[in-house]
Amino acid sequence: MIQLKNLTKTVRSGAEDLTILDDVSMEIPDGEFVAVTGASGSGKSTLLGLIAGLDAPSAGTILIDGEEITAMSEDALAQLRSEKIGFIFQSFHLIPSLTAFENVLIPMEILGLKDAHDRAEQLLIDVDLTNRGHHYPAELSGGEQQRIAIARAFANQPKILLADEPTGNLDSRNGGHIFDLMTALHRQNNVTLILVTHDAGLADKAQRQIRLRDGRVVSDEINHRDTETQSFLIED
Amino acid sequence: MNFIFNLTFREIRSSWRRLLFFFLCIAIGVGSIVALRSLIQNLSKTVGGDARMIMTADIEISSTNDFSPTEIEKIEAVIGKSQIVEARNEAITTATMARPVDNAETLSFVELKGIEPPFPLVGNFKLSDGAPFDFKLLENRGAVVSPLLLEELGIKIGGKIRIGEAEFQIRATFSEEPGGTGGFRLGPRVFIEKKAFDEAEITRNTSRIRRRILYRTSDNPTELVKALRENLKDTILNVQSYRETQENLSEQFDRTENYLSLTGLLILVLGGVGVWNVARVFVEQKRKSVAVLKCLGASGTRIIAVYLLQILILGLLGSFFGVFLAQCFLWFARYRFIDALPASMSYTIHFPSAWQGVLLGVLISLLFSALPLLQVRNIKPRLLLHDAAGEKMRRLDLTKWIFSIVSIAGLLSVSAWQAGSWKVGAFFLVGLGATSLMLYLAAFALISVLKQIKHFSSFSVKQAVNSLYRPGNQTRIILLAVGLGAFVVLAVQSLQANLVREFDFTRNQTLPSLFIIDIQRSQIDELKTILETRTGEAAQIIPTARARVAFVNGEPFDFANRETRQQQGQIGREFAVTFRPNLEENETVIAGRWWNENSDVPEVSVEEDMARRLKVKIGDSITFDVSGRKITAQVTSVRALDLRNTRTAFIFVFRPDVLEKAPLTFAANVLKRLPEVDRQRLQRNIIDKFPNVQIFDVADIVSAVQKLVNNFVLAISFVGSFVILSGILILIGSIALTKSQRIYENAVLKTLGAKRLTLTAILFAEYGLLGVLAGIIGAGFATALSYAVAKYIFEIDWEFDFGLMMLGVLITAVLVMAVGAIASFDVLFRKPLATLRSQ
Repeated sequence: MIQLKNLTKTVRSGAEDLTILDDVSMEIPDGEFVAVTGASGSGKSTLLGLIAGLDAPSAGTILIDGEEITAMSEDALAQLRSEKIGFIFQSFHLIPSLTAFENVLIPMEILGLKDAHDRAEQLLIDVDLTNRGHHYPAELSGGEQQRIAIARAFANQPKILLADEPTGNLDSRNGGHIFDLMTALHRQNNVTLILVTHDAGLADKAQRQIRLRDGRVVSDEINHRDTETQSFLIED
Repeated sequence: MNFIFNLTFREIRSSWRRLLFFFLCIAIGVGSIVALRSLIQNLSKTVGGDARMIMTADIEISSTNDFSPTEIEKIEAVIGKSQIVEARNEAITTATMARPVDNAETLSFVELKGIEPPFPLVGNFKLSDGAPFDFKLLENRGAVVSPLLLEELGIKIGGKIRIGEAEFQIRATFSEEPGGTGGFRLGPRVFIEKKAFDEAEITRNTSRIRRRILYRTSDNPTELVKALRENLKDTILNVQSYRETQENLSEQFDRTENYLSLTGLLILVLGGVGVWNVARVFVEQKRKSVAVLKCLGASGTRIIAVYLLQILILGLLGSFFGVFLAQCFLWFARYRFIDALPASMSYTIHFPSAWQGVLLGVLISLLFSALPLLQVRNIKPRLLLHDAAGEKMRRLDLTKWIFSIVSIAGLLSVSAWQAGSWKVGAFFLVGLGATSLMLYLAAFALISVLKQIKHFSSFSVKQAVNSLYRPGNQTRIILLAVGLGAFVVLAVQSLQANLVREFDFTRNQTLPSLFIIDIQRSQIDELKTILETRTGEAAQIIPTARARVAFVNGEPFDFANRETRQQQGQIGREFAVTFRPNLEENETVIAGRWWNENSDVPEVSVEEDMARRLKVKIGDSITFDVSGRKITAQVTSVRALDLRNTRTAFIFVFRPDVLEKAPLTFAANVLKRLPEVDRQRLQRNIIDKFPNVQIFDVADIVSAVQKLVNNFVLAISFVGSFVILSGILILIGSIALTKSQRIYENAVLKTLGAKRLTLTAILFAEYGLLGVLAGIIGAGFATALSYAVAKYIFEIDWEFDFGLMMLGVLITAVLVMAVGAIASFDVLFRKPLATLRSQ
């Protein structure tokens, strides 16, 4: 369970304070697929970053499984991410100096898992990139890089998967594949999936949709369509 | 732990090209330290390692006079009781003139040594044909000589030479002589029988003769030496054991090694600056990877551990490569300096020095990369969500302060370790810091001046000037590093030019061209006539006596005291002393006053350095031994001598009426510049007429000194070029740091219509300008340093060498321009669209 209580984030912009998130509260139960939508600058990515402990809120608290993370040190947050949270970025953020296989391996090595190699191989099979494992990120297409990023995000079997516009840098065909892969893995592993997206089509496929505007939650609705029966529509 | 090792290995695999400069910076620094230390260690092992070989005995008793029967008795009284003396011989040495019997033109100064069997007591004596030395070669006026003498006199084995009034036949040449491994010599070595030395009456009228009784012992001679000293304490005999000589030599070599190591450390510290720069670039380039790792759950400490391990491995590999470079340097030294170094010297790496170098390399790598690596802590994973490229990292926090202090303390410890003293180490570090600060300020000032000049007609120059202060520019660090290299090389070159000028006869009219000594009273008139006829100038004849200091204030030197023993060469030697009523033009009384007209006690004036060594002041007494007679004189003045403006330079000058009755010889000098042939002919004529006289051709001495100076300068310039090389590496590292910005700027300029030629011109103008500025800074400080050293240390005239400095600035500019252009050339060929899209 993720609980956000009166979350506010302000940053200094020149001489003024700019409020990015304004008194946001919500609860996300385990295993739920939530889409966060909103215009650019509405605070979606910031919200995701705060849940992942990548940044600290200016006010309010975040609890993950009942544990308050806002008071944690940087190293404790890193440990939490290592054990519980997977993250997928719009611009992939693979480590350029490591091969695809090694990128998948890294989170397991950080955690010190013993069967890391076998598991990394299985994850490459899952994302259908077995034969590209020895390639460096620069040698992979955008779609392939994002599939590697997904394999990496699932490496430590996280309870929470945070995806920040994962299809934003991809064409619609590749975007569709990535979305299918992500949701399939979400279902198989029963992880909580929070997807930040601009794409209304993708947001509609989530179980719940939260809309942000100017840092405030303007709607929080349950989608009634069953995502399991939906297949992705290619949009041109 | 696995994570740290695995990631370190993977990072090195992918980043090694970027870290190559790091590797080279350390390699060059370590290479210079190991090379310099190994060179000195090997030299010390050859020359100083076995003082027994140099002394050719275990104990040496020496004197400049004949050993008196009483002295012999005293010596024998101690030796007779000793159980450890195995063998004994005597030797007699002097520097004198030798000339071929069959050639009336040539002559040479030789170091003559009269020996008796068994010889040598210790060491090897090998003839040129590889056969061992046989004493029979010297019997019946035979001589064994250095091959150099045959060359100088133009004679062959079997030919005859005349020394004094006796003739000797050259029976063989030698390739290795006992005790002879280089050093400054007036001429080639000639061995003859000791008996022949006496018979030929070479000793009769010649000063500067040294007689030695040598002993080989079967055990540690220290106690025996003590007993001999005790028994001979009221004589002026010198007793020395090889152990003490070794002790002194080792100390001198240790000091030299430590000072040279500091030079090596300077290069390594510059390498450290390179390391610091590379580490900064590295962390900057790795920001996103670090953020990703943090996002995936790695703590800052673990990530720092990865990069630290990487630095450690590269530092270690760089250090090992440095050891290899040091070996290459030693091979180069063998090739270039073989004539100046002992024949039997080893040219392989000295292993303890190599390990020391490796340890230093690793330490410097860690000390200089620690601060940039600490930036990793400040990289926030949130930069993956927002482009935080412009986000400033916190400049200094408590941890950084602590690490800075630890780094400085570490550097101080390393300097002190290398210098062998905390004080010298601290001086080195403060000196380096002060020099760097001055260079940095000079760079700052120059850039500020440049900034004031707003109007440049050329677009390229305008852009080049602008780029010198673009955000994140590396201008000052480049100017500091390259300027420091130019400074070292130019300062040494400028000093060399001034030193060489000092020895230039055509400029120093007061320096004589010939010194003639050991003239007998009866020979004065005739010699004067010869000199006046041949040179056209009136000869100045100076009376001299040979004297040794026997007591100071009634006390003999206590050579059992270590400090006194270390000065033995300076204070225990025989001096040429003179007397005269007046001060010479080049002398100034700095304490006391010149002769007291009414005094009836003997008075002496002492040269200032000697007064300091002897610790005498006005009113003290010095007892001299003048040919066996003791003369006690009161010190009435201390003189400063201007050696640049001198015909003579006497350490001790007596008041008239003290030495007149002592055995005197006379000296004369020729000021006139004569052509070499005339000089040789004049010398030969004088020697033929007065075989006892000795003549020093100052040109020969000057050329020997110039050779020494040139070798010294070459060696320092070689080290200086390493400093430049380190500067160039820092330059390349700095170029890498600003490369992405340059690529972006070029893409924008290309989009706006700039041609490749324009961009090339900007590139050359920028680095040309940097080079000129670095050259000006280097030349400016080099001028100041060479002036200070010339004026206050060498005490010679100093002249500003405009040509040299201009050449220095030009070469620096061309070098920086070439390196800068080569390192950035690929930037010109990038397509602008790809660059602009990626921004």
